[in-house]
Amino acid sequence: MNRLSASFRDPSGFVFSHNGIIHRQVNSRYAPEYEQLMASGLYEALTQKQWLIRHEEVQEPAISADANAYKLLRPEQIPYISYPYEWCFSQLKDAALLTLKIAAKALQHDMMLKDASAYNVQFLGSQPLFIDTLSFAPYVEGEPWIAYRQFCQHFLAPLALMAHVDISVAKLLVTQIDGIPLATASRLLPLKTRLKSGLYSHLHLHAKTQQRFADSAEDINTSPVENRKPRISKKALRAILESLAVTINNLKWHPPKTEWGEYYAQTNYSPGAADDKASLLRQLIGSIASPLETIHDLGANTGVYSEVAAAHCRYLVSQDIDPIAVEAQYQKRRAAGPTNILPLLQDVTAPSPAIGWRNTERDAFTKRAHCDAVLALALVHHLAITNNTPLGDIAAFFADLAPYLIIEFVPKSDSQVKRLLATREDIFPDYTEAGFERIFGELFTVERKQGVAGSDRTLYLMKRRVDADNSGSMP
Amino acid sequence: MPRRLAIIIALSCATLMSGKAFAYLDPGTGSMILQGVIAGVALAWFTIKVYWYKITSLFGKKPPESLLDDDVNHDGEL
Repeated sequence: MNRLSASFRDPSGFVFSHNGIIHRQVNSRYAPEYEQLMASGLYEALTQKQWLIRHEEVQEPAISADANAYKLLRPEQIPYISYPYEWCFSQLKDAALLTLKIAAKALQHDMMLKDASAYNVQFLGSQPLFIDTLSFAPYVEGEPWIAYRQFCQHFLAPLALMAHVDISVAKLLVTQIDGIPLATASRLLPLKTRLKSGLYSHLHLHAKTQQRFADSAEDINTSPVENRKPRISKKALRAILESLAVTINNLKWHPPKTEWGEYYAQTNYSPGAADDKASLLRQLIGSIASPLETIHDLGANTGVYSEVAAAHCRYLVSQDIDPIAVEAQYQKRRAAGPTNILPLLQDVTAPSPAIGWRNTERDAFTKRAHCDAVLALALVHHLAITNNTPLGDIAAFFADLAPYLIIEFVPKSDSQVKRLLATREDIFPDYTEAGFERIFGELFTVERKQGVAGSDRTLYLMKRRVDADNSGSMP
Repeated sequence: MPRRLAIIIALSCATLMSGKAFAYLDPGTGSMILQGVIAGVALAWFTIKVYWYKITSLFGKKPPESLLDDDVNHDGEL
């Protein structure tokens, strides 16, 4: 049993992995709440709407040896765990609205969410799904929402900052594991947001009230001051949830036009060359004999080639550094219905670090991204030239992730590389097709190689050499 | 039958316990008090909305679905 370090905060239970399958133990102290969730019809209602993850109760004596165990659950498995700082604007917004919808539905069944962490939501393709089965508590008449502050820190503050300040402010979530402090958000947001009733009350006034009571150590439950702890009717609580939902829904992100946003319009591929690249990619992936579970597409842009590759694997994680490209891809896939493609933000030159308690609460990208094949199309010149990464280090990075690599080499004669070199000295004597093949050849064997018609670029299918697997976790 | 009994006992336990026992988060004094402050406003706003949609529906206008998607819609009942 391998207990996951992300689930230590809530004493209701914990998550662990057994033979690679994620399980969740329900502790005895949470038995009444768990039974209420299951018996009240709430579980059925939420899973029918595909808002809450489904699970089955399992009995495996070998793994339920814990003295606190009440039940052992095997939830539906999530192919790839992602974090809020890897989501585009609409992904975080959809996760926020899902959390509120679940809270409202719980209220109808006399239950309530006892936490509202953004980490409780995961994505199955483009579908947000609430994964924490142990987040439900009985609704107590008159009680305010215990998770109100957490909801505002995890969702409202980052979304408001993304919409009204700058999209990149969402990266604060990497250092703020319990969401962005409301005082910080309130200080950063422009004055006009104080004129919006939702943002004013849930964020600015909220921050002020927090500061006003920050130094008061008195327990509002036992405070001698009468009526310190407010009583809120169920209807009023639902009205607060609705007001939060309207506030979140009114937040819109209007991306500025960037060179990346219209990348496909101005790439040096003619439509014919793009088609050729797609069919070439299809051939290369199709020639891999072993079955492909997961593929990571790095530098996926809006995911045009992810779609080609996704037909050959069970799940594809389509990642790009550009929030506009990820936003465009997510919106397109969300509208199209179920998909096996998960669009995410990822900066390959500085991938998501391990964060939280002992640096093990949320895993680094390099720990999560082990897969069957990596797709790196039109990426290597950004890593080698823009980021000055030696080709050997780039090869080692890919060799750590997957046994197969489909990579496109973009030579110095390509207009995109010319553009990168136009304003700087060319200190890359090895950056040639021959140099690339020689250096990558130390860790990979070239299985297939073909030029993309109508361009100077070359597409390779490479297989990791047996002695090059340093990841320790691949078969 | 034993399962049903277990559920009944579990539900009774759940009802008897106070809300505080389930809280592992610190709700924050300010955040609790603020909810008391805005509850009245939120409820008034919600009620006005309900009546507004009732009036517009007389003229054949369909009220928009609630963002909370909990079928409460606009009759105001939980």
